[in-house]
Amino acid sequence: MARIAAEQSREAFAELFAFFAPRLKAYMMRLGAAEPEAEELAQDVMMTVWRKAAMYDRKQASVSTWIFRVARNRRIDVQRRTSKPPLEPDEPMLRPAEAEQPDSAVSRMQMEEQVRAQLATLPEEQLALLQAAFYDGLSHSEIARSYGLPLGTVKSRIRLALARLRGGLDDPE
Amino acid sequence: MTRQNDFPFSELFSAYAAGTLDAGLALLVETQGALRAGIKDAVAQSEAVSGSFLEMTEPVAMRAGALESAMAQIDALEASATAQDAGLAAEGGETDLLPESLRHAIATSGGHARWTRAAPGIRRFPLDVGSQMEVELYRIQPDAAIPRHTHGGQEFTLILAGGYTDETGSFGPGDLAVKGPEDTHQPVGDSGEICFALIVRDGAIRLTGAMGVVQRMLGRR
Repeated sequence: MARIAAEQSREAFAELFAFFAPRLKAYMMRLGAAEPEAEELAQDVMMTVWRKAAMYDRKQASVSTWIFRVARNRRIDVQRRTSKPPLEPDEPMLRPAEAEQPDSAVSRMQMEEQVRAQLATLPEEQLALLQAAFYDGLSHSEIARSYGLPLGTVKSRIRLALARLRGGLDDPE
Repeated sequence: MTRQNDFPFSELFSAYAAGTLDAGLALLVETQGALRAGIKDAVAQSEAVSGSFLEMTEPVAMRAGALESAMAQIDALEASATAQDAGLAAEGGETDLLPESLRHAIATSGGHARWTRAAPGIRRFPLDVGSQMEVELYRIQPDAAIPRHTHGGQEFTLILAGGYTDETGSFGPGDLAVKGPEDTHQPVGDSGEICFALIVRDGAIRLTGAMGVVQRMLGRR
């Protein structure tokens, strides 16, 4: 990515293209795009990656997370779904300001590495729910319906999985 | 019950990360993230989860010649390079210090010409972000009072600068307040500093009290 930004390296872009374009296409098809449209959207996203490469900051996100964001924004342009999830009982957005903490010792990159490593260890049932929520963008109640699970179970499994991703929760309840 | 590893998560973050959150609520999440490190981290973590799934996705082969076609587009781009970095005109002084997400929303919503007076000392500015909800930026002068009102649905208020106080307490930068149809309140801007607030609501506000009679007479909403 750095080489694309700094030297407009087409070689580096080709490598990125080889890995991500087919995955972007799969992502778009998963969201319901027909094959020709998915192909075009994947192309679009890769062109945006080329044009915006200079904005990529490796301290803020991994390449795949950054490319995902570009793809997600493209998705928003194309098919606007408007989910308005209910607030959680302990909604973090409603919490008062925390005492100003010094920057956490864990960098974004470390956090991402941990997320990726822990994701690989999750039991399938948790992984599937995370994917439905974070990748497909289904609401908890939609997930409950499509998996035939009580809403509370969906919520607690997702919370458990996320706690694992944060790391260090040795003994899940 | 509070665990060491308790960390902020809610469905708003996963919907935001996946790109399905209503645009008004997404603006709320982004803007609070700019004001609160904890929220920003929670969003970053959610996006990392989403990004990992992209990486793990079973690829679907691109058509033959896809890379060549991308390279041709790059050639075309470079040929027509230069130009069009006009940038969004910075205007308005006072709002320059608001989070980027909001300044962008202001710039793409017609700029500062769209401020209208809502009540003495209160100005509001509708933001076009593609939300199905009503999204507005409020500017509240010190000690100015928003007429007492209730809500048709939920109303989210994120304080961006300054602060206000209503019957339920005082709110400062980064604080999010939620009011529902059962709540009636009369926020008053705190002394000393102009208050800016981002408001996202489902359903119109209804003035109660004397102003409400006027509103009903005028047939607004």
